[in-house]
Amino acid sequence: MAETATSWLPRGAWAGVAEPGAFGATGEAGIVATLHDGFGLATLIAGPGAAPALSRLVEARLGIALPRTPRIVLGRGHDAIWTGPEQWWLRAAARDGLLPLLDELSAHAAVSDQSHARAALRLSGPRVRDLLAKGVMLDLHPAVFAVGDAAATSIAHVGVQLWRLADGPDGPVFEIMVPRSMAGSFWSWLAASAGAFGCIVADAAK
Amino acid sequence: MRITCPHCGARDAQEFSYLGAADLARPDGMAASEAAMVDYVYLRDNPRGRHRELWYHGAGCRAWLVVGRDTFTHAVISVEPAKRHAGGAA
Ligand SMILES: [Zn+2]
Repeated sequence: MAETATSWLPRGAWAGVAEPGAFGATGEAGIVATLHDGFGLATLIAGPGAAPALSRLVEARLGIALPRTPRIVLGRGHDAIWTGPEQWWLRAAARDGLLPLLDELSAHAAVSDQSHARAALRLSGPRVRDLLAKGVMLDLHPAVFAVGDAAATSIAHVGVQLWRLADGPDGPVFEIMVPRSMAGSFWSWLAASAGAFGCIVADAAK
Repeated sequence: MRITCPHCGARDAQEFSYLGAADLARPDGMAASEAAMVDYVYLRDNPRGRHRELWYHGAGCRAWLVVGRDTFTHAVISVEPAKRHAGGAA
């Protein structure tokens, strides 16, 4: 099929929503929000009785196990995130090579490429739990929500997936994904909630 | 009110949608009387006390759950995946 000429340009999920910089209280920033883009993402929904076979295939191809509870399993280049019973997200650090992999996995699962459908960001900083407490109804205390724990919930009526990564120099680190079409609504919550702590917005690609 | 989702853990009720009674048995539409179908489609008991009902965890794992609940105290007595019941999820 011939390439169709188009004037369309690729546009990041945060374009026109969040810009690198700083906002809110001055002094040491309580929050660091790092915008992510360019990752690959797909939903995997195991076929009836096919979860073990899917799990074996993912493990053989990517060296990661599909979590059976709300967790994220990090691998080299690919991560598996529990999203529901026998349902996962597969996140790839890069989009190259994702489609043939998804083709292969579709032997055991309903697979849907969602690479362009989510806006993702990483939240850290000494006040990150105070920020999340303004919007997340879950208990994110370290005794309850451990490194590697993941959850599907909502923030300001926006459905989100969030998980906790290994602590960084400023303490806990969370990642959050929201539907791309809701990135603006989500950001208006974040901007209103993080200002009191001072927020640095960084671009992961730069 | 909080519902402890068997998949996600304890969550606020606003993460869920309520459907209604969990144990309705659909009559055979070809054989049942009109009155039996009206009863099945429209008429519901309104018990004071224990009730088994279907809830959908739409803001979480998107699973249908069968919740045993006391309609007088709002105490949640039991929660299990609807999938476990014959006929699968609603
Ligand atoms: Zn759930």
